[in-house]
Amino acid sequence: MIEVKELTKKYGDRTAINQLNFSVARGEILGFLGQNGAGKTTTMKILTGFMPASSGTASIGGYDVFENPLEVKRKIGYLPETPPIYPELLVTEYLSFVADLRGVPKSEKSKKTDKVIELCNLGDVRRRLIGNLSKGFRQRVGLAQALIHDPEVLILDEPTVGLDPKQVNEARNLIKGLRQEKTVIYSTHILSEVAATCDRIIVIDKGNIVAQEALNTMGATGNLIKTEILVRRIGDNLKQRLSAVSGVKGVNIISNGTHRLVVESEAKEEIMAEVSKVVVESQSGLIRMSPVQQALEEYYLSLITGKGGSLS
Amino acid sequence: MSGSIGILKKELRSYFYSPIAYVILGVFLFIMGVIFAKFVDIYQHFNSVQRFGGGQGITLDKLATYLYQNMAFILCFVTPFLTMKLYAEEKRQHTFELLFTAPLRKFDLVLGKFLAAYSMMVFMVLVSFIYVFFMILWGNPELPIIGTTYLGLLLALACYVSLGGLISAMTSSQAIAAVWTFIALLLLWLLQSLGQGITAKTGFVEWGPLLVFLSPLGHFNSFSEGLIHVKDIVYFLSFTLITLYFTHCVVESNRWR
Repeated sequence: MIEVKELTKKYGDRTAINQLNFSVARGEILGFLGQNGAGKTTTMKILTGFMPASSGTASIGGYDVFENPLEVKRKIGYLPETPPIYPELLVTEYLSFVADLRGVPKSEKSKKTDKVIELCNLGDVRRRLIGNLSKGFRQRVGLAQALIHDPEVLILDEPTVGLDPKQVNEARNLIKGLRQEKTVIYSTHILSEVAATCDRIIVIDKGNIVAQEALNTMGATGNLIKTEILVRRIGDNLKQRLSAVSGVKGVNIISNGTHRLVVESEAKEEIMAEVSKVVVESQSGLIRMSPVQQALEEYYLSLITGKGGSLS
Repeated sequence: MSGSIGILKKELRSYFYSPIAYVILGVFLFIMGVIFAKFVDIYQHFNSVQRFGGGQGITLDKLATYLYQNMAFILCFVTPFLTMKLYAEEKRQHTFELLFTAPLRKFDLVLGKFLAAYSMMVFMVLVSFIYVFFMILWGNPELPIIGTTYLGLLLALACYVSLGGLISAMTSSQAIAAVWTFIALLLLWLLQSLGQGITAKTGFVEWGPLLVFLSPLGHFNSFSEGLIHVKDIVYFLSFTLITLYFTHCVVESNRWR
């Protein structure tokens, strides 16, 4: 659906993005991850036809962004970093204006407006001035604007910035609900966001793609997972008994005040069950057993700091 | 084309949702009312003096010409208030991103914005038709001359509005746009006197007539005297179209940065 080849953008001497190559399949949600200033917004602005690239090509749905901008723009819904709203208009007036801009036929306009208002949960504020809305609502109006013409491709630049946790959750669910139906590129610098919504991520740093892979294999070394076990006391030869469970590759006891073990094993449910059984039978007093989830975060940091980035 | 109509509708909405349209319309009509009242006063004075055998009368048409020349000048002050926000505000509110990523044709944006501000100005000028009504009621004006005057006004307004739009596209501050538009329009008017002054003082004929030609004043004046010259129409139309084209270029250049 989206093909990007050797895409480069320079602002004077500064290279904002450097020879990016990636593609997004139809119906996929792609997370675009990077620090502030890494080149996410630049890439999105080029894809939407807002600004031209210095070199390289980008195409959406088979149309080149530079050669057929009108065709491409019809297929795209775009939510920029700052929602492009007019504070003096009512929500409905604004959406009707965007529908005009997007060339939505008159006959479908009110139907489509109602649909996005419902989708983005704007029913209560439809007759209010956008200037009087809270930031969360404005962001949702921005999202509604991007959806009004039912685009095939949705490009969202940090759509959850400024939302409260409940709204973040709603926005994520909304985006997840579009899976299969629409192709989505979604930029953010928040990791948990990507983990919660995306199928695949691209990590970009200083204008270069540093990683590009499906989320479920991301950061996993082989197919091993780590499980943290908290117990009241480390029972007799608990470590040996755990190591003996088939599928367990390693057991580490980390005991600093509390008694914790980290078990590295294959990612299979029956192994987990067996491990818990062993812990309980050893009378160690099992308190908690949880998978170690910071793999993604660690991986991300290693990518960026490995490149000499400065992450405080 | 549907894109520019959408923009036109939205801009008109914005005008009437903010107090600015009402304030400007009110102030403009008040000032014009004062001038018109003065005008009626002068007319009556001269005529009564003449009736008792003293001095020369003044024709209604001569006075009407003054009235509309005043109006054309006062509209220079009105224009900046209507054109200042056209592009400057879009830039400040980050809404260019919406306009540029919408499937608009090449001149849709500039055209829609121009038509919005222009139709506001035309509306104001049309309200002044009430003076024509009074003139007919109590006098006997030459209606064709008034017709050409209004044609001249409409053409001059197109110039004003396009220039205001161009200046608004160059800045992200409405205030700066307004001030510069006002200065630019004033300078354009003054070009006439400047050109005449140069010709009179130095007898240097290369520049003087050129400056006079560049000023809208002379072109408008011939309309207000009942003359329709092709050169005047060409002046106003080409001024407007070239300025709109420049506006398009300036707006587009925002993308390259």
